[in-house]
Amino acid sequence: MSEKRKSALQRLSKIPTAMVGLFIILSICLVALLSGLGIELTPFAYDQTTTSYLAGPSLEHPMGTDELGRDLLSRVIYGARLSISIGLTTALTAFLIGSVYGAIAGFAGSKIDGLMMRGVDIAYSLPDLLVMILAGVLLGRGTTGILIALGLVSWMGTARLVRGQFLQLKNEEFIEAAYAQGQSSVNVILKHLLPNALGPIIVALTFTVPSAILSESTLSFIGLGLSPPACSWGTLASDGWRSLRAHPHLIFFPSLFIFLTVLSFNFLGDGLRDALDPRTRLDKFKGGSGH
Amino acid sequence: MIFPILKRLFMAVPVLLIVASLTFLLVRIVPGGPFDSEKSLPPEIVANLNAKYHLDKPVHEQYVLYIGRLCRGDLGVSYKYVNRTVNDILFDAFPVSCQLGFVALFLSVAFGVPLGAVAALGRGGRQDFLAMFVSTLGVSVPGFVIGAGLIYIFAIQLKLLPVGLWESPWHVILPAVTLAFSPGAYLARLTRASVLEIVEKDWVRTARSKGLSYQATVLRHILRNSLIPVVTVLGPLTAIVITGSFVVEYIYAIPGMGRFFITAVMNRDYDLILGTTLVFALLLVIANTFVDVAYQLLDPRMRMNAED
Repeated sequence: MSEKRKSALQRLSKIPTAMVGLFIILSICLVALLSGLGIELTPFAYDQTTTSYLAGPSLEHPMGTDELGRDLLSRVIYGARLSISIGLTTALTAFLIGSVYGAIAGFAGSKIDGLMMRGVDIAYSLPDLLVMILAGVLLGRGTTGILIALGLVSWMGTARLVRGQFLQLKNEEFIEAAYAQGQSSVNVILKHLLPNALGPIIVALTFTVPSAILSESTLSFIGLGLSPPACSWGTLASDGWRSLRAHPHLIFFPSLFIFLTVLSFNFLGDGLRDALDPRTRLDKFKGGSGH
Repeated sequence: MIFPILKRLFMAVPVLLIVASLTFLLVRIVPGGPFDSEKSLPPEIVANLNAKYHLDKPVHEQYVLYIGRLCRGDLGVSYKYVNRTVNDILFDAFPVSCQLGFVALFLSVAFGVPLGAVAALGRGGRQDFLAMFVSTLGVSVPGFVIGAGLIYIFAIQLKLLPVGLWESPWHVILPAVTLAFSPGAYLARLTRASVLEIVEKDWVRTARSKGLSYQATVLRHILRNSLIPVVTVLGPLTAIVITGSFVVEYIYAIPGMGRFFITAVMNRDYDLILGTTLVFALLLVIANTFVDVAYQLLDPRMRMNAED
């Protein structure tokens, strides 16, 4: 198992787009974290005494300042914390709900499985944003509300995956052997079934992070997500949108970071999938010119 | 053949009823009513307004009234757009969103499918990498960023195209391009996967070995068959376009369904929220039914199963 995982990691390290993605993600996370540990940020410091509000990029303010004279770089770094936390929390929620739901369905099989998966099919066919906006009516527009709404729309993919893997794995011999040893069902699920289904789940979760970041920023942008003083990339872009004509830098920088982060996660996810899936590996082998 | 289609359409009725009931419950159990924000209104007038729209009745009576009206095809009145019924608003907004949606879908098919095919045919090589890079870009840029960028370049800087509202064919271009990105990228990935699968098929090898040229094989055999999945993802595509329309209609101030949905949610305009949600649900049901039917028409094996 560890051997298998090692070779998957080795393959991943040979995919340039995935490694660039990983590097960008780690850099952004590092800067967002470090900013809490000493580097001075002034995301909320007004500076209206001088003429430095709505200034374009300069040496002092590399991304310029907003209409209250607040340093945009500080705000973007500060926003990174919220946006990335939202993405990661959603992935965790999706993992918890999705794997429990999928495990029950896949483990139970037959009628219960059919019924549960029909539910997933229906939930899956609904547009995420539509559900999130409607749920937002009830949940409110704070961070908690957004997180619940995101959790609500993002667990189905994981549930399907876990269920599929369980159905496929549960008749394998090593599962039978575990039962024969007298292990309980819970033990079999946690120690044997789930670890073997982990690869595809990780890939799916890697794609959950960027889609959560996108959903949050889109909701905040159209005014149905977070609103100031909350500071995410979405609310920053929404602020910037209002002065697009005169001060395009205000929307440009937050958008750039949303884009970079989402792109990096997508490349990392693609890379992980290729590294873990033997079939695409075969494709690469056949199609590649140098091998 | 006709019977299964009718059966599926008939099954849509309970689905729509469930959507209507859930949405009704959702918007009624939350605190805050449509007349809350108008601070200048004296309490007597608010009470009169609530009485006029039956908002003073218990929730279950409102529900019965609402479902009764729905059955007659009456979606109610907007509380914010004075003197306009929800039917009126949707009647005006639906064609606008449809035009936008269809142009965007057309663009996404026109660019996404060839992009995916090019990627698959050059699998593992430079053109595959480039095409997939472009499609990953397409799914990674949020709609509002594309919209803002296009507006900034083509409307503000170059002054080439108009922005806002829905007046001439020129007004369609930027919103439709913005809306086409995400489904286009989705289609490119899908087409790539489906072409990759088809290239391996025996009958492709047969076509080649009987002397058919590479181009002819690609055009007549591979591309034609790889279009099947495109038809069958109409459900998800409709969902993508509906989602995209919220953002695009917001940015470009287009008086379509998405825009009215968002303002209705902001204003707690109950009947308008319910009306727009129902139309979206109906669209999704129709798209998915169409897909089921298309499956049966395109793949005889599915037809056999359906008649069992």
